[in-house]
Amino acid sequence: MKTRKNIIYTIFVIISFTPYLYLFYDFKKVKFSVDNLVGFYPIYGFFACVGLIIFAKLLALVLKKDEDFYD
Amino acid sequence: MIDLISYPVVYLVLGAVAIFLRPKFANTIGMLSIISSMLCLLIVSDSQVLNYQIMSFDNVFYEISDLSFLFCVVFLTIGLFGKIFSVYRENSSEKGYVLLYIASALGVVLSGDFLTLYVFWEAMAITSTFVIWSTKNQLSLDSGNRYIILHLIGGLILLVGLIGLYGQTYDLTIREISLNTWYSWFILIGLLLNAGAPPFSQWIPDAYPEGSYSSSVFLSAYTTKTAVYVLIVTFAGNSILIYIGIYMILYGIVYALLENDIRRILSYSIVNQVGFMIVGIGIGTELAINGTSAHAFSHIIYKGLLLMSAGSVLYVTGKRKCTDVGGLYKTMPITAACGIIGAFAISAFPFTSGFISKSMIVESSYIEGLEIIWYFLLIGSAGVFLHAGIKFPWFVFFHRDRKLEATDPPIFMIVPMVSLSFICIILGIFPNLLYILLPYSVDYIPYTGNHIVSQLHLLLFSGLAFFMALKYLERTLTITLDIDYLYRRKYTFIKIIFSKIVSYFVSIIEHFKHTKINKNLYLIENTLLNQSSISIMLSVITTIIILVFLLNI
Repeated sequence: MKTRKNIIYTIFVIISFTPYLYLFYDFKKVKFSVDNLVGFYPIYGFFACVGLIIFAKLLALVLKKDEDFYD
Repeated sequence: MIDLISYPVVYLVLGAVAIFLRPKFANTIGMLSIISSMLCLLIVSDSQVLNYQIMSFDNVFYEISDLSFLFCVVFLTIGLFGKIFSVYRENSSEKGYVLLYIASALGVVLSGDFLTLYVFWEAMAITSTFVIWSTKNQLSLDSGNRYIILHLIGGLILLVGLIGLYGQTYDLTIREISLNTWYSWFILIGLLLNAGAPPFSQWIPDAYPEGSYSSSVFLSAYTTKTAVYVLIVTFAGNSILIYIGIYMILYGIVYALLENDIRRILSYSIVNQVGFMIVGIGIGTELAINGTSAHAFSHIIYKGLLLMSAGSVLYVTGKRKCTDVGGLYKTMPITAACGIIGAFAISAFPFTSGFISKSMIVESSYIEGLEIIWYFLLIGSAGVFLHAGIKFPWFVFFHRDRKLEATDPPIFMIVPMVSLSFICIILGIFPNLLYILLPYSVDYIPYTGNHIVSQLHLLLFSGLAFFMALKYLERTLTITLDIDYLYRRKYTFIKIIFSKIVSYFVSIIEHFKHTKINKNLYLIENTLLNQSSISIMLSVITTIIILVFLLNI
């Protein structure tokens, strides 16, 4: 569990640098209105993944079976 | 006859025959035949067309375009590296079947008419089944049976469509087909079944992980990608493919999140990646088709790499489940490094091969203004990192240290892994190496600030979501039900009736069992006739073919 905490801290450190990436982002080249927003990609990426995990967990409630189900 | 020398498939078939005759030299023969096939492909001019006539059909064996050349190159490349990887596998017949499998996949890609395509298509289904059966355990036998039944049904649907096509147009040359006739739907369904489209995406994670540690590398490369090739040629630009592709992307992610078997996780991610390609075919613009072809290329390379590192873990430790392994980065550092490079490539990290190909597909939806589709593709991009990019290396090489005794695999397994990782990175840094092979001219620049920033943001926060939810992603010893429930559990009585009928035929065979040919008959009985359902399938196929022919007349 200690490694997990360390990794989360590392990721937070990396993430604290991500706003600076916007220095390389050209807001004039966007096409849809959403990718004009600062922080669209991080927030969308994060919640997409959380949504997928929740969906998978809900699906597991119905479809999860023991390994020897077909034997 | 002399023309056959210029036909790359011939060398592979000859190699397979030689392996069956001289199993001792299986490795050398296998590599030599793939290399000669490669040389043949590179040397022979692209104006070469090989015709033959059969039953008053004018058929074209060999017609090469930019697109088919790209697919041939990647098929033979992964074939060669896979062959090197499987040097230590002590099953020479598997090596022969693998060569035949590569030959039939190459035959599909090179064929110029639907009849030749269909013959090689079925050959591919049969040879790949033998590759799966070569693992020689009960699991692979069962899943091989399910695999071939599904593929024979798919081939049958394709055949009905092709007969309709011929009946209406009297022309079998491979060309674009519009979706406004009944037979074009049959052809589409037949092709999509091989691509792993819903509702039967399940055959990929069912069959591929049952191959041996080395053969799953080959299995992952050919069947789905030939289907992608044929779809590009025949059905590019049909918007229905976009929705099918989106379903496959999400299906792959969600099921892979629930999976415990290492190679099954990777198989689900094949469905996911082929989903991206199908979306590209559905969009159908030049950029999208370029993106699809490039993605097929880089996908075959990094998926081969991932399955090789999973195969090495299986080879060294004998474990195939996430719950049994962990902490292997200390004992298998090279395998871990290669696996991580493959995982980064599949998640399309900048400066890997996945980035330069997948961003073309995403960009094409962006340029076409398909906003909703673009949102889904972004979810897919983030989700790939979640299920294959982190989950695979984390649970296998890190996580809990299970104190398994392991070392890196022997040198002939290391070499192909390192070379493929090298290719992944080289293609990522110098994308033009791949772009010159693409069917249309490329004026796309992958490394713009916007692409890199958006992709990094997506992936980093996807990684954050993974580690925050790690507690809920712990693997358990369970499986997830899928469409195969219908034919594995619910309707077993059909199986019983089948076996009753077939046991009658078997009893006739029993009669001959004590004669001299007993050995051969026993073989047939064991592999084919005893698999009752297959023989029934074959008879159903013949009946339907005859019926369709009669109706057409």
